[in-house]
Amino acid sequence: MRVLRCLGALVLGCWGAANANAQDAPALRAHRIVLDGGVVWSGGYAIGDTNAQLRSNATGSTPAPFTLFAASSKVDRAPGVSARVGVTLTPSLTIEGGGTFGMPRVGFSISQDAEAGARTIEGEQLAQYFFDAAVVWHLPMRLGPRVRPFVVGGGGYLRQLHEERTLVETGQIYYGGVGARYWIRGGSGTARSLGFRGDVRANLRRGGIDFENKVRVFPTLAIDIFLSL
Amino acid sequence: MRLSGFLVATLVIAGAATPVGAYLKLGTPVDGRVVDVTWRAPVRYFVSEADAAGVSAGDLRGAVSRATATWQAVPSATVRFEFQGMTSASPGAVDGRTTFGFEDRPELDRVLGATSFLFDTTDGAIIEADVFFNARFGWSVSAQGTPGRVDLESVALHELGHLLGLSHSALGETELTGTGGRRVIASGAVMFPIAMSAGTIADRVLQADDIAGISDLYPAANQLASTGGLTGRVTKEGRGLFGAHVVALNPETGAMVGNFTLDANGEFAIVRLKPGPYILRVEPLDDAEVDSFFSTPIDVDFRVTYAARMVVAPRGGSSAPIEIKVSPK
Repeated sequence: MRVLRCLGALVLGCWGAANANAQDAPALRAHRIVLDGGVVWSGGYAIGDTNAQLRSNATGSTPAPFTLFAASSKVDRAPGVSARVGVTLTPSLTIEGGGTFGMPRVGFSISQDAEAGARTIEGEQLAQYFFDAAVVWHLPMRLGPRVRPFVVGGGGYLRQLHEERTLVETGQIYYGGVGARYWIRGGSGTARSLGFRGDVRANLRRGGIDFENKVRVFPTLAIDIFLSL
Repeated sequence: MRLSGFLVATLVIAGAATPVGAYLKLGTPVDGRVVDVTWRAPVRYFVSEADAAGVSAGDLRGAVSRATATWQAVPSATVRFEFQGMTSASPGAVDGRTTFGFEDRPELDRVLGATSFLFDTTDGAIIEADVFFNARFGWSVSAQGTPGRVDLESVALHELGHLLGLSHSALGETELTGTGGRRVIASGAVMFPIAMSAGTIADRVLQADDIAGISDLYPAANQLASTGGLTGRVTKEGRGLFGAHVVALNPETGAMVGNFTLDANGEFAIVRLKPGPYILRVEPLDDAEVDSFFSTPIDVDFRVTYAARMVVAPRGGSSAPIEIKVSPK
């Protein structure tokens, strides 16, 4: 238990330091509207492997199928734009909602084709919309005179429109992440404040385009400008 | 009725097959366009009383009955069969009766069975179709199959596909044998023109390609609205390619459905698909004799090529045409 006690002491030590720093950390004012807008980079993720199989004519009760070719599909990493509106319930706690638009490509790679070499095919471009709601908690600490970290968690509705605009795939994304705000102006009791916000998130995606109907995990990185009214 | 046409479609064990008039579906030209050759009423059929070595006419009736039930069970299609009785007549007689039966045809040493049609050339309506099973082969009606014997139900299922208006599917892989024939390595359709090895019963189960074909010919009430299609064009050096085999893979289900480019512009259509995105692969027809599918020469000098993107089969409609460019070998 010696190790655990030491770890507990370390955590308490950090919490104490954070509390001390929080007294002069920059903050949003309570009961204000916060507008955010910026760019988002989404990481790529696999959406399923498929073997194009024929029934084998080999002997035996259950001969292994013949693979004509194998295809591995993925959603490529892609940039997007986002806009969000939040309300500060307290200087530390904000609820927000918003939307993100991106155009990731759905590509696939071909292998195991006896008549053609392995290849990667760029694929089609999706029009992807994500509407979400989130809670942002600004940690009682600061990383500098103008910087305050936060954690964020939320979820929302995913809508993906195929390139020919004839098929829509829908799903949900749930996410959690960490980030920080950097105040250019305000942050110390003034009515309006302006700055940058950046966060990284881990996303769990259910539904949407997926050929195995699995939950997929992918990262996002967002950089925004925020304005607290 | 102005004139009757006659077609023959066969299932071969290896090697050459009798030419047939069309591709995925049997068709006949009417007023400058090709119409499907189909039944316009339930198929009322007889079974010949002739036995074959080790298999009775009653066994044949049972195998045909099971095969008709398999086609009737396709939920996305509406086909109906009605057994009328046993007959002393042989299949092939032009008597207004659709008849299944054994015939000893030693001259057709690679043909397991064949279907012949009598149809109205003014509208493509089938009047009569007869199916013979070549008695020179050893047949089996065992539930588990019999080593060294050809499964009668599997061949009946294939011939019934012809009887309903389907032609051959090219969804399969073969290799040449030392005797100049072909051996099936793998098959993706009951309607593949070359049978699986004797003793196997795999061809008692319809595949996605067969189901798409029969659903196209005899669509159930909701089929047009609940399925989608893919359309496009295959080109080589800027010109349309006739006779290219286009295979659509549904990455979600693994189902494969194939068709050919059927005109000089290289245009193709694959229909009655589950809505969703598909991977398209274009290949030359090199796993069966060309004359099992086409009565005119086709171009097989090109490399296997994939479409540059997935193509979506939209519910109740067809994709915008996609061009797939192939290059010579």
